[in-house]
Amino acid sequence: MKGKFRDFATKLQAVPRQRWAWLASGLGAAFLIFGGWWNNLPLFGIGAASFALGVMYILGRRTSRASMPPKAPAAPAVAPTPIAHQEPRAPVAPEDTEGLVEQMLAQGRYALMLRPQVVGNLSAAHRERTRDELTEQMAFVPAGEVELGPWDEHALDGAQQDEDRHTAVYRVDAYYLDRYPVTNRQFLEFVMAGGYEQMALWDAKILPAVIDFVDQTGCLGPRYWRHGRYHEGTEELPVVGISWYEAMAYARWVGKRLATDAEWVKAACWPVPLGPGSRMQRRYPWGDNMDRERANIWGSGPGRIVPVTEFGSGVSVGGVYQLVGNVWEWTSSNFGAGGYSRPELVLPTPMKSVRGGAYDTYFDNQATSQFQSGENPVARRYNVGFRCALGACDVSFSETNDAAEPVAELQEAGA
Amino acid sequence: MIKEGTLHLDSYRLASYAVQVPCYICGGGNTFDAELCRHCCAPMALAHQANTQKVRPRMVAAIGTSGVGKTVYLGMLMDMLSRMPDRLQLLARGAFSITLQQITTAALSRGEFPDKTPNEPDRWNWVHAQVRAQKQRHPVDLIMPDMAGEALLEEIEHPRSYQVIRSLLSQCSGVLMLVDASQLGSGTLEQDYFAMKLLSYLIELDEDPKTGWPSRPIAMIFSKADEREDCFIDPAAFAASHASGLWRLCQERFREVQFFASGVAGSCAYRNVPKLGRVRVPLRVEPRGIIEPFEWLIGRIKS
Repeated sequence: MKGKFRDFATKLQAVPRQRWAWLASGLGAAFLIFGGWWNNLPLFGIGAASFALGVMYILGRRTSRASMPPKAPAAPAVAPTPIAHQEPRAPVAPEDTEGLVEQMLAQGRYALMLRPQVVGNLSAAHRERTRDELTEQMAFVPAGEVELGPWDEHALDGAQQDEDRHTAVYRVDAYYLDRYPVTNRQFLEFVMAGGYEQMALWDAKILPAVIDFVDQTGCLGPRYWRHGRYHEGTEELPVVGISWYEAMAYARWVGKRLATDAEWVKAACWPVPLGPGSRMQRRYPWGDNMDRERANIWGSGPGRIVPVTEFGSGVSVGGVYQLVGNVWEWTSSNFGAGGYSRPELVLPTPMKSVRGGAYDTYFDNQATSQFQSGENPVARRYNVGFRCALGACDVSFSETNDAAEPVAELQEAGA
Repeated sequence: MIKEGTLHLDSYRLASYAVQVPCYICGGGNTFDAELCRHCCAPMALAHQANTQKVRPRMVAAIGTSGVGKTVYLGMLMDMLSRMPDRLQLLARGAFSITLQQITTAALSRGEFPDKTPNEPDRWNWVHAQVRAQKQRHPVDLIMPDMAGEALLEEIEHPRSYQVIRSLLSQCSGVLMLVDASQLGSGTLEQDYFAMKLLSYLIELDEDPKTGWPSRPIAMIFSKADEREDCFIDPAAFAASHASGLWRLCQERFREVQFFASGVAGSCAYRNVPKLGRVRVPLRVEPRGIIEPFEWLIGRIKS
């Protein structure tokens, strides 16, 4: 019963004011006439007042609309989501090695400590912890060849296939790739540590534009944040609304880099050599057939970005999550370079390559391991994030500065 | 020599020819086996379906200038609603109604935009579908043609040159008007003028304040808004600041106007095509703001 009353009240509230004014003036006129006819003064008075109010409202509205210049409507009044409260980390004294290591681990900057030049300064325990952190957070991709080719062979008909089938074979050195895209929580560490003010992290040509990389409130940070903080409850979502340059700066800050196109495709396709010049590559990280349960793309997920640990069934052979779906990922390569994707295209601006598809990618053939799209490097899109890579030759697990290639994983991969 | 044979009595055919079947769009008489109306070139299947299914379909038109994205919008809308019927359920009536979504999605999945809609009305794609919204008890039968933008402008400049457009827009229950946000955002006012012309034409067709265009719903859609992110944040403010003429006209003459932003291609590049020159191609397809305007319009059309 209450619900019905509430519905009725809601319906009444939805009736425009002008209609009420017309109703009031109409009823008022009727009361006025009948009040006068029957010599009923109260009815006449109510009618006159109602009629006058209604007519005044209608005339007033028309006059104001005719004389006033049109105004832009106010932005929709949507209550902003609360932002996460996190205080910047307290500075650690240079002589406090333990504190320094803890802080760098908490910030996700373990790769810096495993640099061959640095690793010798760590104690055995710290070295062990840092190595564990690396193997937990990053997946090893063995060296080998990978073929980058047309984004959808099915789209080419028989006559076109020989002519348009541009492929290129790349040799990729062993490297590590983040198991998950970089999250809001991880990127906040970079923001709080003053990453946007550390000029050494940024490309020289973009320095004048860094000041424009602001959030909704004008603070330095990803586009969709507020007051330099992400929205509450989004800490495990991949960070989006960042340009290619911000992704590069973050990667440098944590001692990593962005993966190249060939590296990214190798992690997703996981090529298996069949013979000289021949290899078997997967169309999707989990196999050759699209399985909509395994990736967050249009029509398969909730229609929004999900935490980086979800869709675990779509993990790649090497153990990398969400290579396909959820958010596009920046790579370090230029879009169109190499001539293997769509060499006939003319780009309005130089573009960087993005891969993997996002939660709103509509077609299955645009969410494959091979599909490449392009984006302006300064664009800060709502569905483009990134993950970092690290060359195996850039880290060492021992004091002897040997490159860190895990023997067990290499044997498992058949390399 | 006399040969004997059997001759079919075809007088019933003659009787059928004698009865004229009115076109659902223009009302002109046609023979029972006509495929297209001989007056306005609308498919006669619409009239036959209306007669056999005992329904009076409503009409909704997507209008806008040439190249604004009407075909892509309608094709994607049809495809999205038929693939994910959560909010709105759309069921095509007749095989011809699926052609538009088929050619649109085929082109987009190949990494191209669909070919320009020809000016000849007999080559337009028509959609007749049943739409059921969650909030509405009864489904609505809709007819939506994919009209050529150049034909629309020709009809506006020279009224009655395209009878089908005039008849259709006179009877439409609402329109989806597409305006190119990227052109407006770049500061050119061509789109503003074209949109104002279209709105003025609608008013000319029927200016009755109760039943005419002043009270019919108009979903004003800024297409290609993926190139103008501010348009997605507040389409009405975008209209007020970039298309002030259109904004003012809507405020003054129309009671049921709502502004929306939509985009289909996440990013675009160009390709040189012989004879056509530089054509725009999508680098990926990620539709945004496609269903919302249609959902709003359906909510405003009384079943």
